Amino acid sequence: MWKRPWTYLEGAVIGAGLVATGEILQLSVGEVAWNLFAYPLNVLLAAVFVSAIILAFVVRKRVYFFRWCATVQAAIPIMVWCAVLTLVMGLSGWMSMLRWWPLVLCYTFMMFVLGMTCLKRLRPFSFAFMLNHGGLFVALLAGTLGNADVQKLRMEVRVGRPEWRAIDESDNSIKELELAVELHSFTIDEYPAKLMLVDNETGKAVPAGKPEQIVIEGSVTGGMLMDWEIEADSCMEMAAQVTDGENKVKYVEWKNMGATTAAHVTAKQRETGEMKEGWVSCGSFMFPYHALKLDERYSLVMPEREPKRFASDVTVYTKAGTVKDAVIEVNKPLEIDGWKIYQLSYDETMGRWSDTSVFELVRDPWLGWVYAGIFMMLGGAICMFVSAGRKGSEQKETLKTSESC
Amino acid sequence: MLNWSHFIYFAVVAVICWTAGAYLSFRERKTGAVYAWTILGLAVFFSFIVGLWISFERPPLRTMGETRLWYSFFLPFAGLITFVRWKYKWILCFSTLMSTVFICVNLFKPEIHSKTLMPALQSPWFAPHVIVYMFCYAMLGAAFVMAVYLLCCRKDKDVTREMLLTDNLVSVGLAFMTFGMLLGALWAKEAWGHYWAWDPKETWAAITWLCYLIYIHLRLKQDADRRVILYVLVIAFCCLQMCWWGINYLPSAQGVSVHTYNME
Repeated sequence: MWKRPWTYLEGAVIGAGLVATGEILQLSVGEVAWNLFAYPLNVLLAAVFVSAIILAFVVRKRVYFFRWCATVQAAIPIMVWCAVLTLVMGLSGWMSMLRWWPLVLCYTFMMFVLGMTCLKRLRPFSFAFMLNHGGLFVALLAGTLGNADVQKLRMEVRVGRPEWRAIDESDNSIKELELAVELHSFTIDEYPAKLMLVDNETGKAVPAGKPEQIVIEGSVTGGMLMDWEIEADSCMEMAAQVTDGENKVKYVEWKNMGATTAAHVTAKQRETGEMKEGWVSCGSFMFPYHALKLDERYSLVMPEREPKRFASDVTVYTKAGTVKDAVIEVNKPLEIDGWKIYQLSYDETMGRWSDTSVFELVRDPWLGWVYAGIFMMLGGAICMFVSAGRKGSEQKETLKTSESC
Repeated sequence: MLNWSHFIYFAVVAVICWTAGAYLSFRERKTGAVYAWTILGLAVFFSFIVGLWISFERPPLRTMGETRLWYSFFLPFAGLITFVRWKYKWILCFSTLMSTVFICVNLFKPEIHSKTLMPALQSPWFAPHVIVYMFCYAMLGAAFVMAVYLLCCRKDKDVTREMLLTDNLVSVGLAFMTFGMLLGALWAKEAWGHYWAWDPKETWAAITWLCYLIYIHLRLKQDADRRVILYVLVIAFCCLQMCWWGINYLPSAQGVSVHTYNME
């Protein structure tokens, strides 16, 4: 060992050394406090790290260790260490490993090796190589060091009451922002109502494991569930539960807050010819759900309708004087003043009648750098796809010539 | 309206076409017929996917059963590309066999699907993200079978040519994996507010990605032990399985992953 040239073995030992050092650090100074790396410390650290790599590269002719760092023999062992430590995290689910010194040190050294390799491959310059390796370096550096500058806030807004305060998710403190959000309306579009059978004893949908459902949509109003032929003769999206003179529950059209979906159903047992009719409803925050008992075994129910789209109609004001009207949806955040505003949640006890919308406000000043890295890697992946097999065909040519010789 | 009960008819016709293509690939001067049969099979199979897409009113990409459908489609597709490019006679046999396995899983153990797609998945990023991954899985699945074949059946012979094919499969597979992963990151930023959150699926994607990188870097040096290299590929494929469906059953990943949609 330690005879030049160093091999994978030396690399593995260096990785083990990093893990040991990391564990000592963990025991002495505690876990890595990522939140301390906030601006301007992270910019300083990034500058120091990159300068260190450049310096190491300049003196590599004199220091064997640095020369070795830019080789495959250095890259593979540290990649294996990183993969193994990440594997431990994947198997155990301990997210706290991200603040575990051995993991942080291994990834840092991998980035050092990556940086050295990038500098080495400036000559001869390879475009694809630089996109792949440089992109990963930039994305990792900006992603890890920039993490402490990411602000994640939670804002609850009620209809008609502009809100400018939000809760910081990292320490639950209340922050006053340079922008205010006014909610005009919050809507939930739902998927069409469904009907299914449940077992009276277990309360579980049947057949067990792969429940059958009828979706009441457009012209489709019926179907078969187990041995029952189901037909919904009327389905109301907005209904209220009322009791008639004989104390029987029925539903009437009612377009008001708290309305529920209800359907009047007739069911016929295919074998015995037994008939049943009655109402089923999924209920709302005002009305309980309502099932129709078919026989000793089964009841017909309407499960809660699944949300298809959440949308908040808002106006956002900034201190600088910008006023922006927008509809914020899941997957369609609003970008304003360096903030991205996401639809996060609503008042779940009210369901589709919620008059409160919960937003997540995210600000990540390093995002541009991370995206630069990501797009470089995307370019690199395209290069890799295009050039795959080129090495193969070259080698095959040499194979052929050597065979014919 | 097309539904899963029609699957068997499309699947049987497609498998027959692919088998015909695979059989003809062993006969000399039948290349045109090989292409025709395989493409016909692909067209039949794809028409089922499109039909399902239309009747579900969403891309069939959500449940395990639906992703298997794409896998069954992309395997013969990847096989055909490999055949066109490198003319390996056995590749279509292999891809047909693998595809049939996945079709059988879908036929005999259906995970029947509800009609709905949750709001976070209604995104233009969704289809490219999963399709790219499916293609990557198909490529890396082929590389895995090559590795097992070389480890078990070709112990002492010169396998330079087969190793080059494996390299190609891994390079293309890894390129697609990188693409799928980064598309996922860009999408996550739009949908969940952050591009990378060490969600269990993301953690396993990182592990898998590192494993395939290790393979590619090991292959840069001609002196590395071939068996070690091939074992890396086997391990990498195991990680890929963990990432793909294993985490649905991993105790430590329960309830925390935004990717486990089929555990309703």
